[in-house]
Amino acid sequence: MTDLAPTRLLLVDDEPSLREPLAEYLARQGFVVRQAEDAAKARSALLEETPDLVLLDIMMPGEDGLSLCRYLAEAKNLPVIMLTAKGEAMDRIVGLEIGADDYVPKPFEPRELVARIRSVLRRSAKAAPATDEDALYEFDGWKLDPLKRKLTDPEGTVVPISSAEFRLLVAFLSHPRQVLDRDRLLDMVQGREAHLFDRAVDNQVSRLRRKMEDDSRDPRLIQTVWGGGYRLAADVRRLPPERD
Amino acid sequence: MRHIVPKSLLGQMLMAVAVALFVAQGISAVLLYRAAEQRREMGYANGLAFQLIAQPQIDIRQTLRHGGQQSRQLRVEHTSSNPLRPGETIDSRRQQLLRSVLTEQGLVPAQLVVTERRVSDDPYMMGRLRERPELRVRPEFIQGEWIIAGLLRPGAKEWTVARVPLLGSAPRQLGQLIMQTLLLYVVLVGLLALLLRRITQPLAALTRRLETFAATRETDGQLEPSGPEDTRRLIAAHNAMEGRISALLNEKDVMLGAIGHDLKTPLAALRVRIESVEDPVERQRMAATIEDITRTLDDILSLARVGRPTDPLETTDLTALVSSVVEEFEDMGEPVTFEPGQRIALPLRATWLRRALRNLIGNALRYGRKANVSLERQGSEAVIRVEDEGPGIPQTELARMVEPFARGEGSRNRATGGAGLGLAIARAIAEQHGGHLVLANRVQGGLRVELRLPTKR
Repeated sequence: MTDLAPTRLLLVDDEPSLREPLAEYLARQGFVVRQAEDAAKARSALLEETPDLVLLDIMMPGEDGLSLCRYLAEAKNLPVIMLTAKGEAMDRIVGLEIGADDYVPKPFEPRELVARIRSVLRRSAKAAPATDEDALYEFDGWKLDPLKRKLTDPEGTVVPISSAEFRLLVAFLSHPRQVLDRDRLLDMVQGREAHLFDRAVDNQVSRLRRKMEDDSRDPRLIQTVWGGGYRLAADVRRLPPERD
Repeated sequence: MRHIVPKSLLGQMLMAVAVALFVAQGISAVLLYRAAEQRREMGYANGLAFQLIAQPQIDIRQTLRHGGQQSRQLRVEHTSSNPLRPGETIDSRRQQLLRSVLTEQGLVPAQLVVTERRVSDDPYMMGRLRERPELRVRPEFIQGEWIIAGLLRPGAKEWTVARVPLLGSAPRQLGQLIMQTLLLYVVLVGLLALLLRRITQPLAALTRRLETFAATRETDGQLEPSGPEDTRRLIAAHNAMEGRISALLNEKDVMLGAIGHDLKTPLAALRVRIESVEDPVERQRMAATIEDITRTLDDILSLARVGRPTDPLETTDLTALVSSVVEEFEDMGEPVTFEPGQRIALPLRATWLRRALRNLIGNALRYGRKANVSLERQGSEAVIRVEDEGPGIPQTELARMVEPFARGEGSRNRATGGAGLGLAIARAIAEQHGGHLVLANRVQGGLRVELRLPTKR
């Protein structure tokens, strides 16, 4: 994919009142959009041309979006963003588990959808194997499920964390025992919800410590390094995801 | 009295049967006792009449059994004076009975007296005992009571006096009766208890089933109709009703899913079309309206779904959960305070509880300027407290505020608040976790909302 070649999208939704204006909007944003009104049409469109990304509605007559999504992710290794009217937390996890790269509840802000399309494309361009991304982190008895963003303490109690804390923790877990200075952490942590992450790294670190350390004034796990920076003082293992 | 009466069906029916049986047995015991009494009286009368008519030279019948010649201890007494001693009264019932027996035998007495007398008060008996001291071994000769009957025949100058000992057998008969009654009791009540258990066991099972169904609303594990016909029909009817309720709930879920889908898709279409509106201010307003509709729709859908959560309970650090919700508000620059204390972990549904907390803190900020959040353990409850510094709610309105679509200012003005579902959802979420929501005005002013969750299930 070069900057010159426009990104090709396949939009699958049974509702023409949404599909058509959305296709027009995305075309105005510079995408080449092909439409399909159900899973069967989508499959035949895929035979003619392979898009860069598929936008997929979950609830459709005939074969539903989840089943098509599994096929796209496994057989075609295509990035998929799910569009759904249901929007319950469980649906999101199911969608992500069967291989969708992102999940957007209806109604969505069109600009946000475009941002997510770009973000998914950026990630898939780096070609990180998707299965590895889902692997559990295990450190010092703790577990972090990156897909469900679920942190579990050594006793098995779920410790709720915010998305900023999640990204910070993943940054530490990807670089165990390394000293990470504030700028580097900020780089790694700023995601698409960057506007939510306007607090200093120190603030997030101290929040994370309050939730994870026995004594947050004498941190054992996330240590402060003299000279500016933090370090995760634990070894990290990656485990195959636990599916329940 | 009330606490003596058993509460269960089995107990009450057993009690009723026991009482009825007791009364019936009592009546029959009285009747039996009276019949025995009559027989005995008849025996006395016959014995006396025999002695009086035959004037036997042999003694009274009771002593006959003790053997031939030796038993001629008592003779009929002949005396010229009235045998009734001073202070003695005539036993008129026995007198009448004896008179009728004698009359039947063709002897119409000129005078007849019947009375009771102790052996020691009877000079004739005492005389006989002096003559034959060996008689003293028998109790009725020592201290027994005797029936004395004196007869003056028409035209005769001498009274004929006969005696029979009074038998003290009444208490023994009564004892027998009581034993009989008790035995009947044990057998009948035992059999009845077995029979009643056959009826009440399916009822107890049905009660347990109803409790399970009320809690889970699952149709699995329905009861097989058993027991007597009435109970079978009750269980069958209950199963049918359970099926109907479950079908209604499923219909509701399907309907809500459909509403969600059918409204959100056109809303999404509208939201996309808005992007082509040229005027940015107008576009912003339209987007805000769609967001409002979406939020209300989500609230309605959650309120409808909160009773049937699909996600499992997970042991979760409640302190960290409250922190993370508070931090969301902090990050948006809202005045929210929270001092995390001791760690409290309990089984809960994090997504739902976050939502409840967001609603409570959001309300406090909207109506009370500031939200002070605290978390503590009180006995067997974890208490999340959200306090604000606003005007509070009039005492009379407090209860109404947790009802769906209730809003403080009594208007439907969207600018001052949401659809009025926030507290209703928070309450439903508290109840989903087996807890409850408590609203109160603070003494210092402002509203205090407590979300109380049981730490043990």
